[in-house]
Amino acid sequence: MNWKLLVVLPALAVAPTLTQPAAAQTPGSDAQKLLQRIDELEQKVKILERNRELDGEDAATKAKATPVVTAGSGGFSLNAPDKSYILKVRGYVQTDARFFPGDHSAGTVNDTFLIRRLRPILEGTVAEKYDYRIMLDFPSAVATAGGNNPLVQDAYVTAKFSPAFQVQVGKFKQPVGLERLQSGANMLFIERAYPTQLLPNRDLGIQIQGDLFDGTLSYQAGIFNGVQDGGSGDLETGFDDEKDIAARLFANPFKNSSVDSLKGLGLGISGTFGNQDSAAAPRGYTSAGQQAIYAYTAATVADGDHWRLSPQGYYYYGPFGILGEYAVSNQKVRNGATFGTLTHTAWQVAASYFITGEDNSFKAVTPQRTFSLGTGGWGAWELTGRVSGIDFDDQSFPLFAAPATATTGAFTWGVGVNWHLNRNVKLTLNYEQTDFESGTSPLLRNGEQAVFSRVQFSF
Amino acid sequence: MKLITHLNKLFLLAGLAVFASAASAKDIKLLNVSYDPTRELYQDFNTAFAKHWQAKTGDKVTVQQSHGGSGKQARSVIDGLEADVVTLALAYDVDAIAEKGRLLPADWQKRLPQNSSPYTSTIVFLVRKGNPKGIKDWNDLVKPGIGIIPANPKTSGAARWTYLAAWGYALRQNNGDEAKAKEFVANFYKNVPVFDTGARGATTTFIQRGIGDVLVGWENEAFLALKEQSAGGYELVVPSVSILAEPPVTVVDKVVKRRGTADVAKGYLDYLYSDEGQEIAARNYYRPRSAAVAAKFADKFPKLQFFTIDEVFGGWQKATKAHFADGGHFDQIQRK
Repeated sequence: MNWKLLVVLPALAVAPTLTQPAAAQTPGSDAQKLLQRIDELEQKVKILERNRELDGEDAATKAKATPVVTAGSGGFSLNAPDKSYILKVRGYVQTDARFFPGDHSAGTVNDTFLIRRLRPILEGTVAEKYDYRIMLDFPSAVATAGGNNPLVQDAYVTAKFSPAFQVQVGKFKQPVGLERLQSGANMLFIERAYPTQLLPNRDLGIQIQGDLFDGTLSYQAGIFNGVQDGGSGDLETGFDDEKDIAARLFANPFKNSSVDSLKGLGLGISGTFGNQDSAAAPRGYTSAGQQAIYAYTAATVADGDHWRLSPQGYYYYGPFGILGEYAVSNQKVRNGATFGTLTHTAWQVAASYFITGEDNSFKAVTPQRTFSLGTGGWGAWELTGRVSGIDFDDQSFPLFAAPATATTGAFTWGVGVNWHLNRNVKLTLNYEQTDFESGTSPLLRNGEQAVFSRVQFSF
Repeated sequence: MKLITHLNKLFLLAGLAVFASAASAKDIKLLNVSYDPTRELYQDFNTAFAKHWQAKTGDKVTVQQSHGGSGKQARSVIDGLEADVVTLALAYDVDAIAEKGRLLPADWQKRLPQNSSPYTSTIVFLVRKGNPKGIKDWNDLVKPGIGIIPANPKTSGAARWTYLAAWGYALRQNNGDEAKAKEFVANFYKNVPVFDTGARGATTTFIQRGIGDVLVGWENEAFLALKEQSAGGYELVVPSVSILAEPPVTVVDKVVKRRGTADVAKGYLDYLYSDEGQEIAARNYYRPRSAAVAAKFADKFPKLQFFTIDEVFGGWQKATKAHFADGGHFDQIQRK
């Protein structure tokens, strides 16, 4: 006898005595019917349970195959469930105002509002191992005559064979200048300092890169078309057939140590070497306020070896951060039949402190409390200061640069404040003052006082 | 430009190092993407093949297995699952890999003997001990109150064979009357309380969850269930007629070319046709193609009449279009 009968039969035996005369009952047949009914119900319960189980499995399977859409302060993304395919839509726009309060020279027009950067970004991953990034730029006064150069800032693919060995191909930043390698959205000051002007910007080429020793040493080495100081390009037109090589080593030796005060120390060195021949005069250099302070004479061209070297480092600890770099650019030039080798040097030290206590970083900083009038959050407030100098080779004059419009050197000091309202909105105000060593133009004679401000939206 | 020359040399050396390390590898990994109930078969077969291949070539082969509903597995391969070989339930699913994934030629089925099907199976019934509902043939399954457990033809190869077996039986009983066959199959699926996505899931529903009166599915799955349920809680019922299921196998050309595994993948499938491969199939309740091995295991497999998909339905393409495509007979039956 099974357990159901053990339960049912006593119940049937008792029930008739309570409700009906005993003679009218047939306990045996009723028991069978009840058992059959119980079996049917048991089947129904099992079927319901199994269908529910299968529905759960089906939902889990669908979830595994359903792309994940996310939206947040880091942008918008569409991910395959296993993240082997990712599309991120990001971007930032910087609206600047530039004023030069001490500039009263007749005919000088330089106080302006402008869109400094307007950059939509598409980036992500394909087939798990291949990262890609496309960043366009539509700033004020973009020159369409330059083809893709000003419009396509980044366009590259990174094949991630391992953390220690990756290959990057396309247009991207040459691995040289420390401040140049910092995102335009994360800079301390509105404009980069002088060393960046001596070092290459973006270029087309192929680079191997990776992190070694648990990420304490990173390396990059690549071959590029080659660009002029501070220049960026994706075409050889008007330049030369030679290629530049660029390499960088950067160490974070205490990154994994237990000494908190040393974890944020990074030191490195980078450089480029190539043979550059230009059809026109190389690009010149500008002040902290982005005004021309050194232009090559029209007949001067690049003609020969060009090497650059840049020792660099930073240190971040708690709310404090400091960044420094030095750059030397040695370029063989020619004016007519006269050759010259010019060595320009530049340096900068920039520091900042978050008075609201955030941890400082080379990358984006997240405010501890976002700005909100309703809740009393004030965002992150960062005070900044910077000194920077540039020295142009005295042999420049007068053949390769005109003494009237080119200076032999400049020194700039500046202070500022960054207000990070949240991860996406940052307001910046800078004051920078520059003194020039020589030059007879009103700017070079009087110096420069620049008040720059920026409203930046990024996502 | 000396530095550039040196850098070029470094690139070359790095490339050579990567190439050399790949070329010296002795361990070969193969991925066999298969359908639900072949786990046990390929566990045994893979072990035997690894020994065979090592003895033949000196190379160590590790065959990884992936199992699931046949259609779902084919979709995974099309979507990028790097199968060196596929051993699926339906030729139609391999056709999909050829057509949609373009991973192998359209005439793949001609490359190996017997339509690239080294073993066969059929659709039978597994009932509870004592056969309390008295199920003997297909017509018993459509009676009211019978709980049938097949898998879902939309996702399972076994379920498609089951569906077609029921349809083929009904055609025979009704002198080829399609309408009556459709009505028969509609009544068949009215008695299905649970639809699993694969054959193994249907077995779980019937045996472990105790649902239904009869499991309708692979013969090999039924035998395996009988073997594993040693208490004797189930009985095999062999219908009068059923379909001859021919599960196909093939190398996935583009994958093996990319991975450099063409020889070992071909050797793997060839070995299925060898006497040892055929015996392993028979031991795992798949009907061997080899006459000698079939004779050796004759008492293991019950005799019944077979019809093939080509005879009754004109092949997988036609059968799929008529019965399993969106809006086909199965969808029409389900909507009733």
